[in-house]
Amino acid sequence: MKVLAAGVVPLLLVLHWKHGAGSPLPITPVNATCVTRHPCHSNLMSQIRNQLVQLNSSANALFILYYTAQGEPFPSNLDKLCGPNVTDFPPFHPNGTEKARLVELYRIIAYLGASLGNITRDQRTLNPHAVGLHGKLNATADTLRGLLSNVHCRLCSKYHVARVEVAYGPDTSDKDVFQKKKMGCQLLGKYKQVIALLAQAF
Amino acid sequence: MGMASCLGRPTRMAASEGMRMTAHFRWFLSTFILLYLMNQVNSQKKGGPRDVKCVTSDLQAWDCSWRAPSGAGRGALYDVCIQNGSHSSCYQLGKTSTKIPPLNPGQYEITISPLHDFGSSISKFILNEKNVSLIPDPPEILRLSANFSTSTLHLEWSDKGSAFPRHTNVIWEIKVLRKENMELVKLETYNTTLNGEDTVLRWSWASDLPLECATHSVGLRRYVDDARFSGRKEWSDWSPLQSISWSTDIQNKVFPQDKVVPVGSDVTFCFVTQEEVSSAQISYAKYPLIHLDGENVAIKVHNISASISSGTNVVFMTNKDMYGTVIFAGYPPDIPQKLNCETYDLKEIICTWDPGRPTALVGPRSTSYTLFESFSGESVKFKRVEAPINESYQLLFQVLPNQEIYNFTLNARNPLGQSESTIFINVTEKVYPRTPTSVRVKDINSTAVTLSWHLPGNFAKIKLLCQVEINKANSVRELRTVTVKGVDNSNYLIAVDKLSPYTVYAFRIRCSSETFWKWSKWSNEKQYLTTEAIPSKGPDTWREWRSDGKNLIIYWKPLPVNEANGKILFYNVSCSSEEKTQSLSEIPDPQHKAEIQLDRHDYIISVVAKNSVGSSPPSRIASMEIPNDDLKVEQTVGMGNGIVLTWNYDPNMTCDYVIKWCNTSQPQPCLMDWKKVPADSTEAVIQSDQFRPGVRYHFFLYGCRNHGYQLLRSVIGYVEELAPTVAPNFTVEDTSADSILVKWEDIPVEELRGFLRGYVFYFEKGERDTSKMRGLESGRSDVKVKNITDISQKTLRIADLQGKTSYHLVLRAYTDGGLGPGKGMFVVTKENSVGLIIAILIPVAVAVIVGVVTSVLCYRKREWIKETFYPDIPNPENCKALQFQKAVCEGSSALKTLEMNPCTPNNVEVLETRMAVPKIEDTEIISPVAEHPPDGSEAEPESHLAVSYCPPVIEEEIPNPGAEEAGGTAQVVYIDVQSMYQPQAKPEAEQDADPGAGGGYKPQMHLPVTSAGDEAAAEGDLEKTAGYRPQANVNAWTLVSPDSPRSTDSNSDVVSFGSPCSINSRQFLIPPKDEDSPRSNGGGWSFTNFFQNKPND
Repeated sequence: MKVLAAGVVPLLLVLHWKHGAGSPLPITPVNATCVTRHPCHSNLMSQIRNQLVQLNSSANALFILYYTAQGEPFPSNLDKLCGPNVTDFPPFHPNGTEKARLVELYRIIAYLGASLGNITRDQRTLNPHAVGLHGKLNATADTLRGLLSNVHCRLCSKYHVARVEVAYGPDTSDKDVFQKKKMGCQLLGKYKQVIALLAQAF
Repeated sequence: MGMASCLGRPTRMAASEGMRMTAHFRWFLSTFILLYLMNQVNSQKKGGPRDVKCVTSDLQAWDCSWRAPSGAGRGALYDVCIQNGSHSSCYQLGKTSTKIPPLNPGQYEITISPLHDFGSSISKFILNEKNVSLIPDPPEILRLSANFSTSTLHLEWSDKGSAFPRHTNVIWEIKVLRKENMELVKLETYNTTLNGEDTVLRWSWASDLPLECATHSVGLRRYVDDARFSGRKEWSDWSPLQSISWSTDIQNKVFPQDKVVPVGSDVTFCFVTQEEVSSAQISYAKYPLIHLDGENVAIKVHNISASISSGTNVVFMTNKDMYGTVIFAGYPPDIPQKLNCETYDLKEIICTWDPGRPTALVGPRSTSYTLFESFSGESVKFKRVEAPINESYQLLFQVLPNQEIYNFTLNARNPLGQSESTIFINVTEKVYPRTPTSVRVKDINSTAVTLSWHLPGNFAKIKLLCQVEINKANSVRELRTVTVKGVDNSNYLIAVDKLSPYTVYAFRIRCSSETFWKWSKWSNEKQYLTTEAIPSKGPDTWREWRSDGKNLIIYWKPLPVNEANGKILFYNVSCSSEEKTQSLSEIPDPQHKAEIQLDRHDYIISVVAKNSVGSSPPSRIASMEIPNDDLKVEQTVGMGNGIVLTWNYDPNMTCDYVIKWCNTSQPQPCLMDWKKVPADSTEAVIQSDQFRPGVRYHFFLYGCRNHGYQLLRSVIGYVEELAPTVAPNFTVEDTSADSILVKWEDIPVEELRGFLRGYVFYFEKGERDTSKMRGLESGRSDVKVKNITDISQKTLRIADLQGKTSYHLVLRAYTDGGLGPGKGMFVVTKENSVGLIIAILIPVAVAVIVGVVTSVLCYRKREWIKETFYPDIPNPENCKALQFQKAVCEGSSALKTLEMNPCTPNNVEVLETRMAVPKIEDTEIISPVAEHPPDGSEAEPESHLAVSYCPPVIEEEIPNPGAEEAGGTAQVVYIDVQSMYQPQAKPEAEQDADPGAGGGYKPQMHLPVTSAGDEAAAEGDLEKTAGYRPQANVNAWTLVSPDSPRSTDSNSDVVSFGSPCSINSRQFLIPPKDEDSPRSNGGGWSFTNFFQNKPND
């Protein structure tokens, strides 16, 4: 695991995670060879499942921490301010093949990772003293990175998928503060909903 | 305005000022009125130009106009003449208006003559500047812009100053209209002074309502106030309105966005939308909606409170969604407080401050600080970390070469304002050195070391003041301050002297600049052991001769650390006389005594201590002991912590005195310690940690002469006396009927714990098991106390005691420290046998004498007695009057002259017979008990005298049916409960348990057979006891010595009492005091009572 974190994750971060990068990655060439820097672990799917369970177990706490830190009326109007109304969120079909599900999972994790980066950045300036929230955001982001790495490894090693076309959510850097708060809350609400579905699907 | 009005003004002036008019002016006025009237007449007749009006917009020209006469054609020509005095100018005009240059002050006559119109008349007018109106042109708005983020309108226009003379004052009036219905929201005047040129003027206005939410229009006009123009001045018309509005494409937005406002301000929020807004709220509070154009709404929040770090959310709710904005309410930065700049190392200046009141603004809205140095013009900025935790406010400023004086200004700024604080320092006087490190110690000698340390910093220009703390175990902390010249980033070295050899020191250092500002923190402690030196003194020495006088034991004390100057390895002892020397070498250190055999007594003993460096000076003492015959043992008592010994000055004592002491309980020769005092002393206070209260010590005072020591005083004493821990062990040597002889032993010294001052002896009447045993020494009145102060006395006879009585004795010893515990004993005195014998013999003798005398008298007077008391009774048989039948009287020997048959149900019979029945001289006593005396009873026959009454007594509550059936007879049984007291002692500790049995009434059915002790409580005073009494006539009972001491003997046999009338009851028999009672004289009562009836003393 440490090997993965030390090798693959930074690579993926360099490749994918730029705050505010809203355009999809280039389309994967059909005949591209899939190479991983380190050999993938044998029980990858088990690790993916565990990571999803771990994320699912902490999603609600992160959600609560977030909307509490935003102040009223967020906690008392979750349906309007924090509803999972994320229009461009990548779809997921639980009944698809494992490969299709892994590809969709990859897109979702990439989307969530980027959005979580935006949220973390915004909250650093909005709530600089909310240490608990920051810790939770960072821990979730770390787990997402690990999960992304594992999914990538699985796709590469088993299905020889080297690159997956991903899309990111809107950049919030030019939004007003209320929009940042609201979009972050909606994203975390969506995250909580989706991660439960993913944990169940895998 | 008609001509009349133009001219009316002078008329009114003339009327109002007529009182002051001169005669000339009156003439002029009359002429003027006459002309006016003629003009009116002509006009009515023909008509002419009228209503001349002159205005000016820029004072450059007057624009005069008039109304044409009625009937005049459009192309009529007019001849206009303006005459001022003799000067006149005329010109023809084809219209009814003309521009004329501004006229100089004064009155002008204007004549307007219509040409070619013969029907019209000539009109003449008087024109003055005062009749001219100044109405400037409307200003033009050059530019109207808006800053939506600040909701500010910016207006620009030209003052057209070139059209007016310089220094003309202009008043501008600006109006701001809002919404489509043009509500006036702002009307402001703005004063300027023209400078003769066209100047662009600017005006800004911040709207309370965000500009995005409603259209705002601005217009302005002006009023030219030229002091040199005497005509009427009027406002210009309003300029054309210019408007600002938000883009209509953007919907569902709340304004202002992310605005920072001061706490307590009023803020208006608006919502641009096309949906219907249901409500608006901040936190939990809802606010009333203010409707703007369309569906746009606004709310107004007064006195907004400080926000949380993520800002205050303001939301508007529609049926579909919720929209909002965030506002940050905070405070402008407080003035930085406690601004302080100092340097650690003269490389950097660190300025710290307290930000003061929190601003409630964080992140990008937090306060930024800039430190500006005015002499150098350099500044540094405070870089805030993103998520500060326990943020310290400080800035570093590099020390500039060749600059010592710094003038710092710290500027604090946030979106709400700024503040600043300044400080002026000489950096060389604000040195707060860092903590010295790398402290090292090196030897110089046994009393001096070098101390070095490292101190970073460029201190070459200054001197440093350093403090060395020297800590020694069991000693006061010592501080030494040294001044050293500063160097750049180097080590410092100083010498520390006046130390003690072979001593562990702990050094630590701190420094400051010579111009003191702050001490640095203390460096870490550096411990160091100084090197050894030779012992400075020889050990304190004493000697003791063995009892055989051949061996001498030499004692010495270990040298104190400050005199040993190192680790003492061994001691050398030598005994030298004029003839020879004996030595004991290298006695290892833990040993502090040595024994040496000497043949003579006049030796000089020398003891030397050695450590690794060398030997101490020898310590000498003479072995000779000078005898002292006049010596007696004294006593002394200390003051708790020591003992004071005093003596008289003795000039013969040439060297010192020595006081040695030991515990008296230790075997001889004993030596606990000794103390030497100078020869000129007459007093010594002996103190020792070994002294304990209550322990006897023996002190010996020796005086020192040239060739030996002489014992001067021998004192035993205590540092503090305590009470004895044990009671004297005492025994009863002898006991008589009225005295007891007690003997006791000494208490051992260890248990005495003080000097014995006497004994206290307590005694009282008492039994072992009675409650009186307790508190014998508590000062009760019935306790006798004897204080024996003669401590040599070891016996005591206690006299005047009662015979056959139990006494409780307690003996206690006491010292000045208190009374020791007591030892108790119970002793019973012997019975008084002489009295008993006398009590028996005297009545017997008296009875014999009385009987003999009576017998003799009766014998001698028997005839008289017979004649007197028993005269011969005639025989009735010989009486003829009484002739009985012979058969009746004969053969009846039992025929009696008088036979009384008692009616009472007792069996006492009084028989009288002269015949075979012997004469009864005393009542026959029949007692069942007497017939069956208890085993072991020593009851005498007399004591068994009993009279049988009623039914027999039932023993132990067992009903006796036979007795009940006896009917009419009752029997009382008195049982002898004679005690078996022996005059032997029964020692018993005072703490023995009290049986706790009490006297008094006992249940009749359950009288314990072993209750003798309980019954004893009722002894002696039974007749006074208020207890249960038998229902029967007590006097009718017979008793057997109920108050006899014997009845209380706990060792006596089982006692039972009976009631004469109640089968199931037991009763105490109260001894009858009635002297007349025949029962009281019964023989069962001890004579001892006669002789022992003393008060209970």
